[in-house]
Amino acid sequence: MPDNKPFIRPTLKSIGSYVKKHASGIEHTQGHQHEASETVREADYEGHHIVIRTTYHIEVDGKPVTGHMGVTDDGMVHYHPVPNISFASALDMVKQLIDVFPDDFSSAASKTGAQEHDASQAKSHAGHPRSTAPARSRTAARKTRTDRK
Amino acid sequence: MAIRENILTSATARDKYIKGVKLLKNEFPGPTTTSLGIAGPTQEISTYDLFVVWHHTAMTTFTPPTQGDRNAAHRGPVFLPWHRFMLLQLEMNLQRVLGNDLSFGLPYWDWARDGELSTSRQRSAPIWAANCMGGTGAPVTTGPFAFDPADPASWRVRIAATANGQLAQVNRGLRRRLGAPVQGLPGPNRLPRKSHTAFATAQSVYDAAPWSTASAGFRNLVEGWQTQPQIPAPSLHNRVHVFIGGDMSPSTSPNDPVFYLNHCNVDRIWESWMRSPPAGHGRVYVPAQNAPASLRGHRLNDRLNSLLSGSTTPAQMLDVTGSYTYDSLDV
Repeated sequence: MPDNKPFIRPTLKSIGSYVKKHASGIEHTQGHQHEASETVREADYEGHHIVIRTTYHIEVDGKPVTGHMGVTDDGMVHYHPVPNISFASALDMVKQLIDVFPDDFSSAASKTGAQEHDASQAKSHAGHPRSTAPARSRTAARKTRTDRK
Repeated sequence: MAIRENILTSATARDKYIKGVKLLKNEFPGPTTTSLGIAGPTQEISTYDLFVVWHHTAMTTFTPPTQGDRNAAHRGPVFLPWHRFMLLQLEMNLQRVLGNDLSFGLPYWDWARDGELSTSRQRSAPIWAANCMGGTGAPVTTGPFAFDPADPASWRVRIAATANGQLAQVNRGLRRRLGAPVQGLPGPNRLPRKSHTAFATAQSVYDAAPWSTASAGFRNLVEGWQTQPQIPAPSLHNRVHVFIGGDMSPSTSPNDPVFYLNHCNVDRIWESWMRSPPAGHGRVYVPAQNAPASLRGHRLNDRLNSLLSGSTTPAQMLDVTGSYTYDSLDV
């Protein structure tokens, strides 16, 4: 149940305490990777039941793009890491992905790194794989189910 | 009680906001990247960056988890109350680091006013001046959030989403691409206009089935998914993110302090919509609590996703006039 105290004034101690309490939720979302995103759209029409299953497998430079992707009832494609826009074309969506995440696509990353002269970024990434080359996920593809009765 | 003012007309609110977010950026309440499961070396996470993490987490939490469209903060009815909750938490933290200044209110950016400018002037409007939010670039090199590689105290993005939707550690300057072309976006990339906000506040229904990006009503219009002949999506709130681009594009968009100016204006538009009739439509919210479990997370008394505080409900977010008011509801 909510604690009904949205206006309790925060302190450094309370922030640390609440974040610790909610940390498992963050770790859970960090684990979401989908080699394929399947959307199931359903509708009833004139006494008929319609089911449309759409599955996307996306690669850029041979590397899988594994964020969550969905298709809404109007046929627009939506990709979770670019949350404020839907696309009529999945190709346009991936092109926009490359524009929004230049560090994750190698040719653009070198350009951006040169502009910012920031060697510490590479240091921050040391010790864990680049996001565009994740270990192949063994997680089952998530189903995006849209019920429209 | 705080009064939230237009950042372009209140230099006091503007300067306090800039000072406050910089203080939160350099305050470390204890959580680390390791404790939150963010790969890489163990680094303390600032209070400001915890809000970045919170927004990303809410956005990647499906509500309920049996579907993949609505999340804990977007693409459904909870969009407005959840962001009001987030802004209240940030505002209280800003008041705290500004010396318990309870008169401080988050400033808003009346972006629809700038939307009346020509496309080129929108990119050089006063909001982007060096004494306000600074300009465009990767990294931004002007204003209070300019990147200086030689100055570790300059504004740096520390936690950002990757193309695959995971949080990662970075250490770089803030990025904006004001008005830059967007793949698949028909027409110029420009801000919403006053006619768009007027159309939104004229909606008589808050939200409607299927309670998603396909819904009719005020919420889906102001969030920016609903396409109208005169207002093609992405519109209103979404369009502001798309217009600014760069770090305003991914789920970690609170990395750009302009995020809160946008959402404060969205909240102001909601408050305008909730005025008593005939000026507005009253403090009403749907779906009610007896709606099906398939809407869990978005019903009137469902708990809102939280990270830095206890939780609350949409019902408790409908009337917060005891905490703040706006200097103007002319949206």
